[in-house]
Amino acid sequence: MNLEISGAKILFTLPIELPILGRLRISETMAVSWIVMLLITGLCIWLTRDLKVENISKRQAVAEYLVELANNFVVGNMGEKFRHMIPFVAALFATSVVSNLISLVGLRSPTADLSTEAAWAVVVFIMITAQKIKAGGVGGYLKGFTTPIPIMTPFNILSELATPVSMACRHFGNILSGIVINGLIYGALAVASSAILGLLPGVLGDVLSMIPVLDVGIPAILSIYFDWFTGVMQAFIFCMLTVMYISNAAEG
Amino acid sequence: MDVQELVGIVPWNFVATLCNLFIQVYLIKRFLFKPINGILEKRRAMADAQIRDAQKAKEEANAIKSEYEQNMLEAKSRASEILTSAQRTAAIQSEEMLKEATAQAAALRAKAESDIAQEKRKAVNEIKDEIGGMAMEIAGKVIEREISEKDHAKLIDEFIANVGDAS
Repeated sequence: MNLEISGAKILFTLPIELPILGRLRISETMAVSWIVMLLITGLCIWLTRDLKVENISKRQAVAEYLVELANNFVVGNMGEKFRHMIPFVAALFATSVVSNLISLVGLRSPTADLSTEAAWAVVVFIMITAQKIKAGGVGGYLKGFTTPIPIMTPFNILSELATPVSMACRHFGNILSGIVINGLIYGALAVASSAILGLLPGVLGDVLSMIPVLDVGIPAILSIYFDWFTGVMQAFIFCMLTVMYISNAAEG
Repeated sequence: MDVQELVGIVPWNFVATLCNLFIQVYLIKRFLFKPINGILEKRRAMADAQIRDAQKAKEEANAIKSEYEQNMLEAKSRASEILTSAQRTAAIQSEEMLKEATAQAAALRAKAESDIAQEKRKAVNEIKDEIGGMAMEIAGKVIEREISEKDHAKLIDEFIANVGDAS
């Protein structure tokens, strides 16, 4: 049997040619990321319906808990002066975690496309650099590359650029590997079940071996790790690194 | 259907993700953080107002209490004042009464004494009159009969005895 793991499907191509961007292709990544945005925004609107000051509903308690969690996460790790970063970090985490987990309903995760993580990492990289320049000025920022000795400059530039690359690739790699391993497991279990049931004699064996019995249940157990755990963990790591890098940059 | 590369950056997806991220930031801010932070702020303000009210009520209660205590103190001092003044008045009054009574008693006694003296004088005058009368009687008797020396002496004795009895 053949197992093929490919990139996101391109749903349709618009006949517009732009200089750098090339042809506008609406891919699965984009479509699913819009679904993710709709889900998150819908959830926010649903959670914050008829808010009350006293005698709150369970829904409002959840909403308040989420907001407090985001506040504590950002303020606790970055300090009070980064309060304006709370919605950004929250949006990043929510988008990441919903994108990772949406593969559970059969859609292709937008995070299984390196473009998504690359865009996020570039935004974070720009924020880090902005904080560094804000803390030490342009001169201080550039001078920072020559420490501890001028000969280290190329390595410092490399390590600076490695930050967004490693962030993007870490997240992307984990999600893609989840997809690859899930595909492999599905394929392998189908082969295994057809091999086991094919041992049955006659027509019965031929018919039953067509049904991949082992594909029921076993991949769900494995997906607890490869989808749920990795999905939440990678979103958390990405946000944690964002918060850490930006607050470190601000300290100089 | 075409597929994109498994590992690679598609410029359009990159741009779309950038836009999506910032739109998502706005949406999450608008629909989650703004209302929830608003409600949290409102609740905090309400709690603060309640604490302030409670403090105000406590201060008022303390003011009332101190006023009450002061009033009590004043009342006590006034009562003791009234008591002492009453005692003083009573003492003065009783003294006056005593003095008056003494004066009255003295007046009564003086009157009684003067009465007694008058009576005595009156009695003495009466006696004198009686003696005179008696003397006249005796003289008459003497003139009426021949009085011997012996009788004479006897009369005089009698007279003296009479006078002595009368006085």
